[in-house]
Amino acid sequence: MQREREIVIIVRYCEIHLKGKNRGYFEKVFMNNLEKALTGIRHEMRKPSGRYVVEEFDASRADEIVERLRKVFGTHTLSIGYKVHADMETIWDTVKSIAPQSGTFKVLANRGDKHFPLNSMQINAEIGGRLLEYNPKLKVDVHAPEHEVYIDIRENGTALVFSQIVKGAGGMPVGTSGNGLLLLSGGIDSPVAGYMIAKRGMQLQALHFHSYPYTNMQAREKVEELARVLSSYTGGMRLHVVSVTHIQEAIHRDCPEEMMITLLRRFMMRIAERLAKQTGAQCIITGESLGQVASQTIEGMTSSNAVVESMPVLRPLVGFDKTEIIERARMIGTFETSILPYEDCCTVFLPRHPLIKPKLENVLAAEQKLDVAGLVEEAFASLETLDIRQK
Amino acid sequence: MIYLDNAATTAPDADAVQAAAKYLQSDFFNPSALYKEGFEVHKEVEGARRRILSYVAPVGGYELIFTGSGSEADNQVLFSCPNHGNIVITGGEHAAVYNAAKELARRGMDVRIAGLNADGSVNEQELFGLVDKNTVLVSVIHVNNETGAINDIASLASHVKEIAPASVFHSDGVQAFGKIPFTLSGKIDLYTISAHKIGGVRGVAALIRRKGARLHPLIFGGGQENGLRSGTENTFAIKQFEFAAEHKIASLSKDFARVKELNLLVRGELDPEIFEILSSSSASPYILSVAAKGLRGEVLLHMLNDAGVLVGTGSACSSKNRYSRVILACGVGESRADGVLRISFSANNTESEVREAVSIINKNARALAGRMR
Repeated sequence: MQREREIVIIVRYCEIHLKGKNRGYFEKVFMNNLEKALTGIRHEMRKPSGRYVVEEFDASRADEIVERLRKVFGTHTLSIGYKVHADMETIWDTVKSIAPQSGTFKVLANRGDKHFPLNSMQINAEIGGRLLEYNPKLKVDVHAPEHEVYIDIRENGTALVFSQIVKGAGGMPVGTSGNGLLLLSGGIDSPVAGYMIAKRGMQLQALHFHSYPYTNMQAREKVEELARVLSSYTGGMRLHVVSVTHIQEAIHRDCPEEMMITLLRRFMMRIAERLAKQTGAQCIITGESLGQVASQTIEGMTSSNAVVESMPVLRPLVGFDKTEIIERARMIGTFETSILPYEDCCTVFLPRHPLIKPKLENVLAAEQKLDVAGLVEEAFASLETLDIRQK
Repeated sequence: MIYLDNAATTAPDADAVQAAAKYLQSDFFNPSALYKEGFEVHKEVEGARRRILSYVAPVGGYELIFTGSGSEADNQVLFSCPNHGNIVITGGEHAAVYNAAKELARRGMDVRIAGLNADGSVNEQELFGLVDKNTVLVSVIHVNNETGAINDIASLASHVKEIAPASVFHSDGVQAFGKIPFTLSGKIDLYTISAHKIGGVRGVAALIRRKGARLHPLIFGGGQENGLRSGTENTFAIKQFEFAAEHKIASLSKDFARVKELNLLVRGELDPEIFEILSSSSASPYILSVAAKGLRGEVLLHMLNDAGVLVGTGSACSSKNRYSRVILACGVGESRADGVLRISFSANNTESEVREAVSIINKNARALAGRMR
């Protein structure tokens, strides 16, 4: 007879262990993020010691739940398993149903409830022995098994039985490391930069600059899609969109052609800092990587940094090669969108020979011709803010 | 809003929509069904088939196969070719023919592409030079969808058949049907028409086939359309197509003259300092292709969009497919190809709105030119 058992998902967290007195706070934020990721799916989340267990959901949605929770930063590993009454016969029934069909295996029991009549070594031996007898195609290998069967005897008279462990996104729960403003272009780098900072627990907002009518609606849609993918890791985010068309036109009109990118980036930083202050963000995050393109030389960064007065500019990709960035973009699922051909900055304004090592005094001299405050003000008049939710 | 992108699609004929609405509702039946209700709908579909066919082909020699789109019809023609011999198309073909031919080339077929004259029509001598006795298909677009250039397909087909009597001659007539006076002649084997360019809805088009011309199905299934295009008939769209086509054909000459006037008006009023007219004076009046010197067509398009004028463009800001293949094939250089706008009319456009549109186009183009120095 099939005994009563319930499908559950076990979520183990990382790093939170390290946080001493703050542990309660981190756990609370993490639990909230897990709950947010499961919006729209019926479930109950319980927290026995050292892990979270998702219960009372429809079995057909188990994979979807794992897929969503896998992306929540702070998640170390997950398993789909069964919660059963903690007696050897029930446990054995469940092990039978999830055991591999052939190959080598190992049973790993853990006895949280010291009242359980067998200790963990005895459980391993008993269940392992029964499995060998039940299926002659199976062999024990305690050192490098192909399959593992886990039995976790809990304190409340239940046991968790599972066989697979899925790796989670790792990192720290979003919201435990402050709030940052990500400059999100349509390219490959900036979503990866955002991912890496969010993984350290930072809540993200994103800021996108467009130059409509010189760029098109598809470029904007692409950025919204990138924000949507990122938000599946961060539990939603706000996307701010600002037009820099008039700034590009003014630079084009009044400044040397080769200064376009250098000057434009300074405007972007000014707008970002002001928006960050308005929205409570504590830093600016960019996808710059040292020396990758002309504007990302140390001189270029010096020039754009010089306008930011009161907060750090985080550049998590500064030491990455393009191939490393692409690899990560593929992993987090933004690459395919990033390589769509819509440009976020029309080539109409791209100089043929951009300045590679701008000297700050020359930049400042060129900028003299522009009404900096007025142009920034005008940019803010175009500000739109969208609430991006995960898919 | 002034809509001048009618070659992309045009507003559905509202009377035709209303007249056909019952096939979405009370008369929803499957025309293949054996009860009376289904059979009644079947007869209606057959009526639509006969009448649409009569608008483009002489009685007797041709039949009509409904398809789901003009692109599908074009693909069916290309993929009906045997896998030997060669195929000749032109550089001015719609993507549905051009990219299907490219796929056949990738599979090892000998595909030959004839060059274009400056107005977008095919270079006839070059075309004839490519055809030989092994040619299995020649496909020449009737009215080019970017420049409006008209190819004399009846004469081309006759000449091609002298060189390659066993070849099949196809023409994509999507921008011609219901717009320019034309009836199929005996040397043309296959002809594509589409509903949504003449007031029909999207989701139905047709392939006109000279009886016996080589054609194989792309879609297999319940055997509808004589086994050439399976799939339950889109009866609403088919009937609406019929009614829209009926209206178009009835007013074809009158509309042609009116649209010609609108076309001439735009040609005359566009600022010659900025715009160069690419379409020749003998082109279909429904399509007018112009190049704005030194400007990006897509940027101008966005500005016009904000000013309430909707036009098409021959270029895009995207780095892939930035320039129109057809415009480049006309011998227009990349710098000019960047600034191409396609203005396409419908008989419903009024003179006053077209005048207003031209003035908005001039104003915005001048403003953009000023900003670009």
